[in-house]
Amino acid sequence: MMKILEAAKIHKNYGNKWNKQEVLKGIDVSVDEGEFVSIMGASGSGKTTLLNVLSSIDNVSSGTILINGKEMTAMKEKELATFRKTNLGFIFQEYNLLDTLTVKENILLPLSVSKVSKKEANQKFKEVATELGIYDLKDKYPNEISGGQKQRTSAARSFIHQPSIIFADEPTGALDSKSASDLLKKMSDLNEKHKATILMVTHDPVAASYCGRVIFIKDGQIYTQLNKGEQSRQAFFNDIMKTQAVLGGVQHEY
Amino acid sequence: MNINLLILRNLKKNMKNYYLYVFALIFSVALYFAFVTLQYDPSMDEVKGSIKGAAGVRTASVLLIAIVSIFLLYANKLFVKRRSKEIGLYQLIGMTKARIFRLLSVENFILYFGSMLFGIFIGFASSKLILMILLKVMGIETSTTLQFSEEALIQTILVFFAIYLLILLTNFVFIKRQTILSLFRVLSSTEEKVKKISLFEILLGAMGIGLILLGYYISSKLFDGDFSTINELFMAMIVILGSVIIGTYLFYKGSVTFIANIIRKQKGGYLSINEVLSLSSIMFRMRSNALLLTVITTVSALAIGLLALSYISYYSAEKAAEDNVPTHFSLTNTEAAEKFKAALARQHIDYQEKRIEVIQVNTDVTDIMETNLAELNFDPSQMSLPVVSEESVNGDIKKDEVLFSGYNDAMALMMSLKDHGEIELFGKNKSFKQHYIGLQDEYVIPFNFSNGGLPTVIVDDEIYQALKNDLNQDIQHDSSLYIGIDINEEEKLEAANTIFQSLSFRENTINYSRIEMSNSQKQVMGLTMFIVGFLGLTFLITSGCILYFKQMDEGEEEKSSYTILRKLGFTRKDLMRGIQAKQFFNFGIPLVVGLSHSYFAVQSGWFLFGTEMWTPMIIVMIIYTAMYSVFGILSVLYYKKIIKEAL
Repeated sequence: MMKILEAAKIHKNYGNKWNKQEVLKGIDVSVDEGEFVSIMGASGSGKTTLLNVLSSIDNVSSGTILINGKEMTAMKEKELATFRKTNLGFIFQEYNLLDTLTVKENILLPLSVSKVSKKEANQKFKEVATELGIYDLKDKYPNEISGGQKQRTSAARSFIHQPSIIFADEPTGALDSKSASDLLKKMSDLNEKHKATILMVTHDPVAASYCGRVIFIKDGQIYTQLNKGEQSRQAFFNDIMKTQAVLGGVQHEY
Repeated sequence: MNINLLILRNLKKNMKNYYLYVFALIFSVALYFAFVTLQYDPSMDEVKGSIKGAAGVRTASVLLIAIVSIFLLYANKLFVKRRSKEIGLYQLIGMTKARIFRLLSVENFILYFGSMLFGIFIGFASSKLILMILLKVMGIETSTTLQFSEEALIQTILVFFAIYLLILLTNFVFIKRQTILSLFRVLSSTEEKVKKISLFEILLGAMGIGLILLGYYISSKLFDGDFSTINELFMAMIVILGSVIIGTYLFYKGSVTFIANIIRKQKGGYLSINEVLSLSSIMFRMRSNALLLTVITTVSALAIGLLALSYISYYSAEKAAEDNVPTHFSLTNTEAAEKFKAALARQHIDYQEKRIEVIQVNTDVTDIMETNLAELNFDPSQMSLPVVSEESVNGDIKKDEVLFSGYNDAMALMMSLKDHGEIELFGKNKSFKQHYIGLQDEYVIPFNFSNGGLPTVIVDDEIYQALKNDLNQDIQHDSSLYIGIDINEEEKLEAANTIFQSLSFRENTINYSRIEMSNSQKQVMGLTMFIVGFLGLTFLITSGCILYFKQMDEGEEEKSSYTILRKLGFTRKDLMRGIQAKQFFNFGIPLVVGLSHSYFAVQSGWFLFGTEMWTPMIIVMIIYTAMYSVFGILSVLYYKKIIKEAL
């Protein structure tokens, strides 16, 4: 199986040389094509920093990141931007839709940079939007639709230009449980049907249980990994809960 | 941290954010102080004495106060609103409203009066320059000295202290009215929510454009003779003003959105980054700023229009004097002419003299009138016109023909003449039917003979003699002789004029010096232009600042969008291109609308002010546009900073 993302010995420090804070302490991650991976950890464990670093929004202090075999850490800002445009998709906790654009315009935004014809763009939009169940909302503005619909719009936008990998930062964080499970189902559909590679950060075990693999990080290092394998989602969920209890077990010591 | 430290910290932060506010404040104070200093300067006495300058300057200073205080209040309102979160936070941690008010007031006081002192200093330093400019445009030569005027200082401090009290009052009301919750919400509630375009808005938009065009149409017809009574003319002007102003408001409220929406619809949801940043933002923002933009546009149009008109008359002063007095000097009696000639000869100034006899003859011009004058209380069958013989002007006119010469532009537009036709000249007893063959541009006699700009009739000498022997004494002027004197050498003209002014002519003789006439018009128009320019400049800078502040706010609010776009992989350069397009429209639309309003205002009535429209108007417009663009460029730079920080 082809590796989409390969990161080795990632370090990330904040602050200056007198007051240094090490957030990531040498993390190795690799994601295969078509995988749905989530990263879990307590707040402050560095999971969002890791996602930002892997998705080129933040730069690493040391270490290498390869996406699709391309070294990303050596790229200049402009190259990075082009790389993000063509190879990466994003879903954020805060929806991150532009208020002044309609649902359709928001979704088609990533296509406007790569010279896709209007006809093809419409075709793709119809496909993705129907799949995510938001086709009927195409002329509405973000403030006219629900949080779940917004997040599905966001998912459609991250997927429309068929990126190598989609990064999702707490996508269910602002949603109620019904909308959250709707979204996660749609995401795993995309993952299965279209072989979309997704890397998701979450602190919600339910969300993580939709994935094929869960990476736990603690204090800037990888703590452990769980593979779903052939077991049911419920069983996987129980595994995740157990691991999380051990991870947060410090509390039980006193 | 005690309250003094808090004030100091806030000041430091605010100085960085609001440097333009501080700049605008300094500028307003400097301008006002310089202006008031002029008012009290001894060298202005000459200006005041020669023409009623004092009243003009005083009116201008009142207007200046109005513009400046509205601007300062508005800017303050924007800033308090921006700080509402901070105010809410203070309240949340238990500060009383009175205490917060005190905090803001002290902060404001330091910022405000610091800028004021600085402004007074700059105003003082620049007042001499301003005075020199004024005297230069008026063509007055006196030496200027730099004088510090205590009255000006006291007046400036009083005025700005009063404005400060007003600012305090609005802040007090603002804080008093707010609850903690509403303070946190204030920013989001002021901007209109993004929503669908309704049919009603489309109608409003179409109506806006329609009203503006209607106003333009009427204004182009204003002096074509369609409105011939004063009442009708007045009504037409009211209609123009009303329809243009309401049209402008609706234009911002609906038309811009409407047009942007059409363009957007055509894209079918597939927008480029430029369109995302410019179209979609303008569509919603402009609507919520409609009132502000209307005021800015209307007043800019007024400023440009007035400035252009006064510049037109300033610019045309020489040409107008030439039309009014065809020779360098014009006299109407022999005695005065001899006296002047003798004086010229003593100074060895060579001259040429010409004498033209002018008689007044009632003429029937009904047949060649293009417009119907019945409503003007003007009888075209008994129009008193000056008549000269072909021999006085070295022309050759056939016996049954007449030629008209030198028709004032303003008159010509209100009462236009056909190319040819029949007229009839009435003597006391006899009358002559003549064939009218046309109008030539040249002015042959000074305007005291032409009854306020009517054309001169040139006839065959035989007819002239016949008319002269059959004069209608009732309509003749005191003198029927025009003595024109031209100085041969241009450089001696000044000297000749000095002589002309020093001679005491008998009263009630009509004597003109062309150069004197042109200078006095330049003085009047120079002062007008200076005052209008001064006010226009203040207005331009304050409105530019307000638009810039608005853009600052908008930029902060849209910061999250830029973050999204940058995360999606748009480069800073991509975004900047979009922002440039956006600012081009944000500043360009009000500017273009303002320029177009002022163009139509100027073209409807410019001929009443001078003889040349395009050059002066275009110069004024270019200067205005250039200064206005500075604010657009500043705002683009501000956006650059925001976009850089966005990721």
